[in-house]
Amino acid sequence: MSEALKQSLDLALFWEYRAVLLSGLLFNAGIFACAGLAALVLGLAAALLRLSSARPLRWIGTVYVELFRNAPDYVMLVWVHFVLPLLLGLALRTRIEFHPFLSAVVALGLVYSGYFAETFRAGIQSIPKGNIEAGRAVGMSEALILRRITLPQVVRRMLPEGLNIFISLFKATTIVSLIAVPDLMYRVSMVTQQEMQPLPLYTGAALTYFAIILVVATLLRWAGDRWSRSVLA
Amino acid sequence: MTEPPCIRVVDVHKKFGPLEVLKGVSFDVHRANVVTMIGASGSGKSTLLRCINYLEVPTAGAIFIDGESLGFREDRTGRRTPRPLREINRMRRDLGVVFQQFNLWPHMTVLGNIIEAPIRVLGMSRKDALQVAGECLQRVRLSDKANEYPARLSGGQQQRAAIARALAMSPKVLLFDEPTSSLDPELTDEVLNVMRELAEAGTTMIVVTHEIGFAREVSDRVLFLHDGSIDEDGHPDQVFTAPRSERCRQFLAKYLK
Repeated sequence: MSEALKQSLDLALFWEYRAVLLSGLLFNAGIFACAGLAALVLGLAAALLRLSSARPLRWIGTVYVELFRNAPDYVMLVWVHFVLPLLLGLALRTRIEFHPFLSAVVALGLVYSGYFAETFRAGIQSIPKGNIEAGRAVGMSEALILRRITLPQVVRRMLPEGLNIFISLFKATTIVSLIAVPDLMYRVSMVTQQEMQPLPLYTGAALTYFAIILVVATLLRWAGDRWSRSVLA
Repeated sequence: MTEPPCIRVVDVHKKFGPLEVLKGVSFDVHRANVVTMIGASGSGKSTLLRCINYLEVPTAGAIFIDGESLGFREDRTGRRTPRPLREINRMRRDLGVVFQQFNLWPHMTVLGNIIEAPIRVLGMSRKDALQVAGECLQRVRLSDKANEYPARLSGGQQQRAAIARALAMSPKVLLFDEPTSSLDPELTDEVLNVMRELAEAGTTMIVVTHEIGFAREVSDRVLFLHDGSIDEDGHPDQVFTAPRSERCRQFLAKYLK
C-alpha cells in the first residue's frame, strides 16, 4: 500500500482533534435547523401565494419561487453575505454587516424555501376538492381547513420529497465555511494548515458527514414511512 | 304570523361562463318536509343543491334560511350588502351536506371525522362531542366502526359515516347530493334505510337522487328539473302517476321501465 493511501486511512489525527472538529458540527446542525425552519415557513407562504385566487399574488409567488429555486447555493451565500448588507447600508445610510451565521441561515433558507414551495404546492393541489368542500359545508373557515384538513394530508404526501430536500440542505451547510462560519469543514481547513496533513483530516470529515447523513436519513425515512402508512392505508 | 319556511330559494340563477345552468329557480321547504329533486344529468339539480349552502355562489337570486338571507344582509331601507365569509360559514352550520363521493377526511378515523367540526367549529368540549358522535353513529348503525379509517370501510359504510358527520352538527336541514350514485347497487339500501329513518324522525331534507322508488315513498314533494328550471312540482303521487309536463313523463318512462 502506498504511503499516501495509508496516511489517508489513518484517522488518528482526525481523532486527536475530535473536540475542536466535532464542535464545528454543531454549527452545521444549528444552520440546518434554523435554515430548515425558515425554508418550511417561507415555502408554505410562497406556495399559498402561488395558489391564491388573486392574480398579482400568484405572480409574486411565482417570481419568488423561480428566483430562489434557480439560484445556486454558493452564489446566494456570497450575495447575501457581501452584497445584501451593502445594499441595505446604502438604503438606510448606515454601515451594516451580517454575522456569517445569519447570512448562512438567510441564504440557505431562501434557496430551500423555493424547493419547499413547489413541494407544498403540488401536495396541496393533490388533495381532492371534496375534502375541502366537506370542511366548508360544516362551517369551517379557510384557515381551519388548511390547518386541520389540507396540511396534515399534504405533510404525509410530501414526506419522501421533503426528506430529500432536508438532506440536500444539510449537505449544503458544508459550504458555509466559505464565509467563515466555523463549521466542521472550516475547522478541518484550519487544522490542515497547521498539521500539513490534508489526507486524514479531509477523509475524516467526509466519512463523518457520510455517516451522519446516512444514519439520520435512513432513520427518518423509516419513521416517516411507518407513520404515513399507519394513517393512509 | 306563520313560521317562515326552513329554506326559501328565490329566483336563483347560476352561470358558468356563458353557460346558464340555473335559469331562475324558486321553491320553499318547510320544517320536517322531505323535498326530492329529480331530473336528467345536466338538468342543474346538483348545482341547485350546492347553491343552497353557497358551495356555488348563485349568479343572481337569494337563499333564505329561517327567513335570514344567506348571501347578503338587508338593512331597514332594503339595501343589500354582501355577507362576509365568516357569517356565511356560521350560517352553513345549519345546513348539513352529504356528498355523492362521501368526502370523508382520510387522515381521521370515523370518530375523528364526526367530532372535528363540533369541537373546532361549535366549540363543544371533547366529552360532549364524543357523546354526540356516539348517538349519531348509533343512528346510522356504525358504532362498531368508530375507530376505523375511511379507507377500510365499504362505500355504504363510508356514506353512513358521512351522514353521521353531518348529523353531529345538529343542522336544521340535511342536503343530500346523489348520496347513492357512487355505490354498488347492493349497498344503496343500507344508506336509503338510514335516510328513510331520518325522514320518519322529522328531519328536514332536500335530496337529489335517481332513486325514483325512494323519492316516491319518502318525499312530501318532488321537483323535476329540466334545463335549469323546475318543470314539474308536486306531491309524489301526482308527479309519478300523472305528471303534467311532457318531459317529466318521458324522463319517468325511462326510469320506470
